[in-house]
Amino acid sequence: MKYAFFPGCTLEGAAKEALTSTQKIAEALGIELVELEGWTCCGASHVQDIDDLLALSLNARNIALAEKLNLPLLTVCNTCTLMLRSAKQQLDQTPELKDKVNTILGQSGYTYSGSSEVTHLLWVLLKNYGLDNLKKKIKRPLTGLKVASFYGCHILRPPDIMGFENSLNPQSLEKLVEALGAENVAFEKRLDCCGFHAVFPAEQEVLKITGLDCLSAREAGAHCMVTPCPLCQMQLDMYQPDSQKQFKETLTIPVLHLSQLIGLALGLSPQDLGLGRHIVDTHPVLEKILK
Amino acid sequence: MDKITYRIKRFDGTREWFQEYTFPYEKNKTVLWGLIKIRDEQDPTLNFTSACRSAICGSCGVRVNGNAALACKTSLDELLEIYQTSTLTIEPLSNYRVIRDLVVDWEPKLERMKEVKPWLIASEEKDLSLGFIQSEEEFHKISNPTDCILCGCCVSECTQHSTNSQGFYEPFIFTKSYRFTIDSRDNAPSQHLTPSLEKGGLWKCVRCMQCVTKCPKGVRPADHISGLRKESMGLGHQQNKGARHAYAFYDDIRKTGRLNEMTLPLKTEGLTKTLSRRIPLALRLLRKGKLNPLHFPRPVQGIEGVRKIYRLVQKEERS
Repeated sequence: MKYAFFPGCTLEGAAKEALTSTQKIAEALGIELVELEGWTCCGASHVQDIDDLLALSLNARNIALAEKLNLPLLTVCNTCTLMLRSAKQQLDQTPELKDKVNTILGQSGYTYSGSSEVTHLLWVLLKNYGLDNLKKKIKRPLTGLKVASFYGCHILRPPDIMGFENSLNPQSLEKLVEALGAENVAFEKRLDCCGFHAVFPAEQEVLKITGLDCLSAREAGAHCMVTPCPLCQMQLDMYQPDSQKQFKETLTIPVLHLSQLIGLALGLSPQDLGLGRHIVDTHPVLEKILK
Repeated sequence: MDKITYRIKRFDGTREWFQEYTFPYEKNKTVLWGLIKIRDEQDPTLNFTSACRSAICGSCGVRVNGNAALACKTSLDELLEIYQTSTLTIEPLSNYRVIRDLVVDWEPKLERMKEVKPWLIASEEKDLSLGFIQSEEEFHKISNPTDCILCGCCVSECTQHSTNSQGFYEPFIFTKSYRFTIDSRDNAPSQHLTPSLEKGGLWKCVRCMQCVTKCPKGVRPADHISGLRKESMGLGHQQNKGARHAYAFYDDIRKTGRLNEMTLPLKTEGLTKTLSRRIPLALRLLRKGKLNPLHFPRPVQGIEGVRKIYRLVQKEERS
């Protein structure tokens, strides 16, 4: 299995542990990730507010880079996935728009054809790799660990662009967590938003949203949250101390990247997975599984 | 499956409770069919609104298992399959005052909608000479927002509105605001747009995409919010956090291809606020190695091509 890897800006910066853990688990699973040379930011749902044709053209270029390699494009960030898939859908469904964008790309040496699929690590593991194959690689089943699976918006919504599973009652993340040997806890906010994209213009509201998500997971008895989106992870982990100021109840709960949870089950070390880089201490998770 | 159960949230003006109704399953029916069957055959006191049964009037919005849906357009079979159950919980739309059972109060919402003047403000002089002719392209710009039937499903799970109902418009109000702001026949776009910016919390949308997901007519309020943001910046409203945040991404991609997380708060909030508000967060991140003050993204391979795309897009838009 081989994919053109689109890390996204966050994995180069604040969520470097998501990059290293993704690379480590890919290696352990035998999935080859070829990082796209020259990829640019997906626009992060902001650039289209200034110029939607520019956002579309930049992501057409990103996909064209994968097409040059004849590989499907794999991301590990929900918002990158949405931005890239949204561009792909517009280009594939509107021939005039595709022609217009290709006229622009052509002058800088690229062509978008539509041949590369845009997918996410979670979907690849479910659909292409297969949970049975994943189970065969498990060296340290996460028995006894109670996990709150937090999807994040952009891996589900809007469903006409994402569409991997029904957005009202998805099951992929829970199935994966179960395959790792952990126990899913039911919690009210599993399909809610973390608030990340408005943390600057709506700080107080977003801190409340973040806190409610953490509280919901904690009160359901989870030892940790896990998310397939590094932006959700950043919001729920980095801003947890700020959210706490709005709540009387204790919110504290570790928030793991999906790749870290998988890595733990594959027997990788907490150091390799960057579990020391979290704001909220991850030791309570490790104590449950490194007995 | 022989039977279906609706677990309906009731409200009589003072008291709330859940009441269960069980009835025989029938294939190819809608959520509304079940509600009508209950009222006709089991409980005439059950209150809900409906009229056209054809997803035109927008009066039968309810919440099923926590998600807004237009009852007359929503297939029971699909829901039973999605939730793998024979019991559905039906509640009134969220973020509305409930009058009785599943009936919600639209009056405050419609009063608020008037703030964006959801009607054409035409120029008499211009229209006397040209009439109201619109090109096909101009019509297509307003086609999607015009499909809104005011069912209210977009509000029910809106993340920002659920947290801050007074400071954030209902998504359908943004849709109306956008629809009249960009209508080529309108002569006063700022009168439709400015309330969204100043009262509606235009930049507070968290982009959760609940509105787009829940709309039964394929209307895309989140896209209209993006459109309004673009229009607002075109009218000169660029000195706010939201606009500055968007430009931070726009400028960084042109410069290096990637976001510079270190300078993002400075560009969004300015030096004073960053220093006064962000120090504890910055220290937390530095301690854990999540922030590297020495990391400045270098231009990506092919950056000249990226910059050329910027120039060509601008040229295309000017033409």
